[in-house]
Amino acid sequence: MQARTVTMTDLVRYTVVIALLILFLFPIYWMIATSFKDPADILTRPPKWAFKPTLENYRYAFEEANFGLFIKNSLFVSLASTALVIVLGTLASYSFARYNPGAGHLMFFILTTRMMPAIAVIIPYFLIFREIGETTIGQTLGLGLDKQGALVVCYTMFNLPFAIWLMHSFFQDIPIELEDSARLDGYSRLQVLRRVVLPLAAAGIAVTAIFCLLFSWNEFLFAFLLTRSAASTITVGVNGFWTLRGILWGPLSAAATVCVVPMMVFALLLQRYIVRGLTFGAVRG
Amino acid sequence: MPPHVRVAQKGVKMDRTIQEISVASKAPKKAMSDTWYSILLIAPAMLIIFFFALVPLFYAIYLSLRYADLTSPAGIGPFVGLQNFRFALNEGVFWMSTGHTLTFAVFAVGAEMVLGVTIAFQLNQLRWFKGVIRSLLLLPLAAAPIAVGQVWRYMYHMDFGVFNQILAPLGIPAQNWLGDLRLVMPCVIVFDVWQWTPFVALIVLAGLQSLPKEPFEAAELDGASTWQVLRRLTFPMLTPVLTLVFALRSIDAIRMYDAVASLTRGGPGMATETLTYYLFRLGLKYFRMDYAGAMSLLFLYVTVVFTAVVLRSMMRVQAERARRA
Repeated sequence: MQARTVTMTDLVRYTVVIALLILFLFPIYWMIATSFKDPADILTRPPKWAFKPTLENYRYAFEEANFGLFIKNSLFVSLASTALVIVLGTLASYSFARYNPGAGHLMFFILTTRMMPAIAVIIPYFLIFREIGETTIGQTLGLGLDKQGALVVCYTMFNLPFAIWLMHSFFQDIPIELEDSARLDGYSRLQVLRRVVLPLAAAGIAVTAIFCLLFSWNEFLFAFLLTRSAASTITVGVNGFWTLRGILWGPLSAAATVCVVPMMVFALLLQRYIVRGLTFGAVRG
Repeated sequence: MPPHVRVAQKGVKMDRTIQEISVASKAPKKAMSDTWYSILLIAPAMLIIFFFALVPLFYAIYLSLRYADLTSPAGIGPFVGLQNFRFALNEGVFWMSTGHTLTFAVFAVGAEMVLGVTIAFQLNQLRWFKGVIRSLLLLPLAAAPIAVGQVWRYMYHMDFGVFNQILAPLGIPAQNWLGDLRLVMPCVIVFDVWQWTPFVALIVLAGLQSLPKEPFEAAELDGASTWQVLRRLTFPMLTPVLTLVFALRSIDAIRMYDAVASLTRGGPGMATETLTYYLFRLGLKYFRMDYAGAMSLLFLYVTVVFTAVVLRSMMRVQAERARRA
């Protein structure tokens, strides 16, 4: 990049970009600010920009609305389902990339499952998990209604198609000659997978894991419908502040902040991977 | 250590490493064929996908062909043929909610594409802080819609919301954003545009950055104008990326639920009742699983056809590109 003087277009462009950034980031700032406001400062007309911060909303969320439990549930369900997706999805995606079982039709089927409207599946899921929850296997694995296991399985199901599709591109990028020469050296197929392919695909797998974590953490509908109190996740908790008595804006903002900010920090730290993941499916196809 | 295979000769014992022996003792003499191996690898994932995709699908088909009012004592009743589908296609609310869904999808995705592409072009020309700006733009995507939607609800509030406060000095009177029938759908659309424009922008940006330089340099040498370059070079080369992003956003926009659930709950009245929200009310509040099942199957059918068409055209474009390359 040669050194060039700053031109007028540069200035204009950066002004526009900064304005855009302010527009896109303002709601997040407002959410965080509101979470530290005293309820009296929230319901003011017009809204206050300067205020004395308080931790009352957080205290309420954690002590009276039992938010700590929701966080724990979200953490467990997201991590567990992501782990399952990575293990099962990597194997399957590798197989599709190298051997293409089903000659493209299976892959197409997998892609279409992503399009199923939730309502078509929610009642069957509800009934399935209710039945499994009564069996002993179900109870030991925690696979009933209002149990974490049910959500883990659900989210695994949701994220598998996406993970397989995303990792497909990453695997296709690994030159097959590397695998062939390892095979010639006498390694078995599984060994080739473990020693040659996986290290090279590690970045792609990391990207997929990040997305699965993000989707599971942010998911609302199935958590809402399949849990009642014991296994509810953060998103359900946030929605719970919209009560019949009215909307508790303060604790709601605190809950929303707890739900949103960790994922944002996560995204900021791993932005390089996330952008790579977003674009890999798109640019390479 | 890779096992060394020596040709068996009379009287010479074949060397084997511990690994070989242990593998051979577990596996049959002949190694598993490639086909079986590939099937074994996909088996666990496909089992889960098949079970949790097909069982509900068949159950939905089963329900859609029967009378199924879960609040009535009959519960899941007798076979009624295609009656539910006929009801669905005649039901006013079904078409109204479909109309809302389409309105939302068309305007939201349209705005996201236009804004996203514009932003991508601007970002592509930036010289400093590109990475920081890109990461900051990523943030709305990381926010759970149900959570940040509630915050938007607060911002849209007629009395306590910050939007009215900001617009007041511009002479715009305070609006009841989410309570006004004419404003509420645009408000929901704006929320979705806020969240997903970065998605479009970042993907298109990556597409722009991956374009080869030579055609553009040649065009500059030939004295092509900016407009000509855009029209003849950039956009044709970006078509696969644009199509993919459009397809991804369209499919997700049609299935949107969290935004409506957190902003308006279908209201005021039924002004923002999208198909997904209507289906949930029908199936899980009124428990008419027969109608809900039929409608969701129609919904699924249309989505699959739409996606198949788009995907096929995309694959055709890519095959052509590969052929030319």
